[in-house]
Amino acid sequence: MSGPRRGLTSSSPRAGYQSPGPRGTPIELTSGSLLASRNVAKRFGSVVALRSVDLVVEPGEIHALLGANGAGKSTLVKILSGVHRQDSGEITVHGGPVDLRRPGDAQGAGLATVFQDPALIPDLTVGQNLRLTDVPEESVRAWLDRMGLSSLDFDALARELPLPVLRLLDLARALVREPSLLMLDEITAALPADQAEQVFAVMDEWKERGRSVLFITHRLGEVLRMCDRATVLRDGRHVAVFAPRDVGESGLVEAMLGEVAREVREAQHTPTVESSSPVVLETVEIRSKEQVNGVSLSLRAGEVLGIAALEGQGQDRLFELLSGDRRPDSGEILVNGEPLNARSPFDAVSRGVVLVPSDRLQALLPKRPIRENLGMPLYSRISRWFSIAADEGARVDNAVERLSIDTRAARQAGKLSGGNQQKVVVGRWLAAGFRVLLCFDPTRGIDVGTKQQIYELLRELAADGAAILIYTSELAEIPLVCDRVLVFYGGQVVGEQPAATATEESLLTAAHGIVEKGAV
Amino acid sequence: MTVIGERSRIRKMDWRRWLRRHGWTVAAWALLLALIGFYATLIPRFGAFQISSIAKNSLPLVYLSVAQAVIVIAGGIDLSVGAMLVLTNSIAAQLMVGQSFPITLIIALGVILLAAGINGGVGWIISISRVPDIVVTLATSFILSGVALLVLPSPGGGTSEGFRAMFTGSATGSGTNFWPSLVVMAIPVGLLAFWMRRSRTGLSLYATGSDPTAAYLSAVRTARAKVVSYAVGGAFAALGGLSALAITGSGESRLSTGAGFTLRSVAAIVLGGVALTGGVGSVVGAAAAGIVLFTLSPVLSAMGIDPNTAQVIQGALIVVVMMVAGIVEVRRQRSE
Repeated sequence: MSGPRRGLTSSSPRAGYQSPGPRGTPIELTSGSLLASRNVAKRFGSVVALRSVDLVVEPGEIHALLGANGAGKSTLVKILSGVHRQDSGEITVHGGPVDLRRPGDAQGAGLATVFQDPALIPDLTVGQNLRLTDVPEESVRAWLDRMGLSSLDFDALARELPLPVLRLLDLARALVREPSLLMLDEITAALPADQAEQVFAVMDEWKERGRSVLFITHRLGEVLRMCDRATVLRDGRHVAVFAPRDVGESGLVEAMLGEVAREVREAQHTPTVESSSPVVLETVEIRSKEQVNGVSLSLRAGEVLGIAALEGQGQDRLFELLSGDRRPDSGEILVNGEPLNARSPFDAVSRGVVLVPSDRLQALLPKRPIRENLGMPLYSRISRWFSIAADEGARVDNAVERLSIDTRAARQAGKLSGGNQQKVVVGRWLAAGFRVLLCFDPTRGIDVGTKQQIYELLRELAADGAAILIYTSELAEIPLVCDRVLVFYGGQVVGEQPAATATEESLLTAAHGIVEKGAV
Repeated sequence: MTVIGERSRIRKMDWRRWLRRHGWTVAAWALLLALIGFYATLIPRFGAFQISSIAKNSLPLVYLSVAQAVIVIAGGIDLSVGAMLVLTNSIAAQLMVGQSFPITLIIALGVILLAAGINGGVGWIISISRVPDIVVTLATSFILSGVALLVLPSPGGGTSEGFRAMFTGSATGSGTNFWPSLVVMAIPVGLLAFWMRRSRTGLSLYATGSDPTAAYLSAVRTARAKVVSYAVGGAFAALGGLSALAITGSGESRLSTGAGFTLRSVAAIVLGGVALTGGVGSVVGAAAAGIVLFTLSPVLSAMGIDPNTAQVIQGALIVVVMMVAGIVEVRRQRSE
């Protein structure tokens, strides 16, 4: 950890200020509220995204906006950012009604948003991006210095920079506008722990200045640590407003999931791997362009092996090598004891090594129906009379049922929620059959309930004999799903822990590269 | 202060990165120089007359390539630039005949503004209707071509001697003074390139073409950027029509001329390094590629190749250049 934990100890004057309101009752507006939205509703065609939402943000507070996927968080944020316009309901800033017709209007009203996908133009340099949005470079530089990015080259193209840097850059750009409300949409998703700390420091400072932050995240630990109050959305309505610390993590989850609330406990899964199980995937000293520096690992049938790493330690490249997207410079990848020698992902897939990437839309045909997406890998098997494998229908049905995918919005896979999209990605490999499942941050930006389902699914697959390699940016989740965890640092495996005893702290320490060596 | 030291070190490396980033534009100009050098070895007496001939005769295609480049960089594509060239050429020829030089200049300015207005309107229709650019501009190309035929049913019209000299260097349209042609080519293209890279509006064209969603979220007025790109494109297409009038001394409104010009403008921007997906490339590269495409014809005829075969060779050359560039790019990504 880079510094003492903030937030937990700092007592906020507003903590516990409002008790949970009964479902659907309007929240009293206090005249000094910074932002108040009342009865905001929005529908897209036949889909109702927001039924009626009240949200009140006071000056000088960090306010969490919580809810499961599909609860309406993103829609509300987009309305408050001027991206969408509400169908009904009103929004006031400092007591005065505002009409947010386009993003510029929201900026003018003192509302600035940092979206999950940074709003930077990939083909322009950092400097040109700032000029485009009329933000002086020096002011951005000042914020970046404080976030530990002082060496950022403003002549670099935005597309050349890694996602975490772009997020912080977008944050710095928003801060320069001195907004009275800073809206952070999933900013910490896939952000390495040290950079998340920088974001928290900025949030705290914004609060100390008497300004406010609206914080959207799926990480409940962050909510408990950072936020003074939380508004919980469910099914397009606000269902609760409370101080997170008063209700605790279980209270938050209960509010988010409602009647179907299931306790997300740290389920102790039963190990499904035995020492006699065959090794399905093995790598011998593989290297690639200084990003992967001699990695040897082995994965048995029925085993879930976790990779714990900070951002940018070569895990991306490792998964590229294993999925056949790229060939290692040296070393060997063995599948069932035989060299993989993949020239393209097709070769890896035909050997049963399949990838679930973090960017779900990258893996899907977003404009095609769900069934077609599920059947896609089957299309490479041309059977007699040039028709697709005869059992396609049955295989696809099986996958749909097993994953409990909500197929009501079946016309376009791209219109599914993030969690359901990820299920479709896993599901198509289920329909096609596989030996080794490579999961790269499969739960990025997915809500608690769906996360749990995905982890249960992975455990089930392992119990059926699949070998699973998983990298997740959320270290706390590793014990939930893995049997064993490898710590990856600087392109090398620097440590190994049994997942059952691994904790977020122990993994984080190891992932910073200050492993047991430090003790010597 | 170490940080500042580090930054200045980064600055020093700039030329390398500059070369990598603008490699295609540089390569397009290198290709042009090589082609002209080759041409010089083919014919017995290479001199000011040939340079002047290339400089002035390539003007219409250069302007049109630049027009197409601006629109494509901003994320669109305009299949009516050739028709706009023909229309402006016809209107100007009809109005300028028998007029003095100052009057023809005023008419030229009016024609440019008219074309910018019409094409800006087309851009506006595209942005509010969300009908794909290719559909709308294909339809408008028929309208513009038809109007051109109404304005000038048969080849004719004319312009002032001063106007011809401004584009071609001589009152008769043929001579050895190539400077005017180079100046009327370099100044508008140079100004446009500078404006697109430096001004907020210019950058908003790149932003809209590169990532419309991110641009919209960054409070860029993407609809306005589209209208501006089409208006600028229209103005440059008008320059193309005016230069064609100056070269031949009379107007001509045949339909096929416009269609041929449009297709060559698309080929030129691709050759000049403008990505058809938008947001990448520069008008300077497109201008060089426009000259290259024009120069290929005299070079191939000097080599004794008949025009039909020459067409095949032109097409093949574009494919080969694209392929080599594509492979270089893939190699570069692999090695990263």
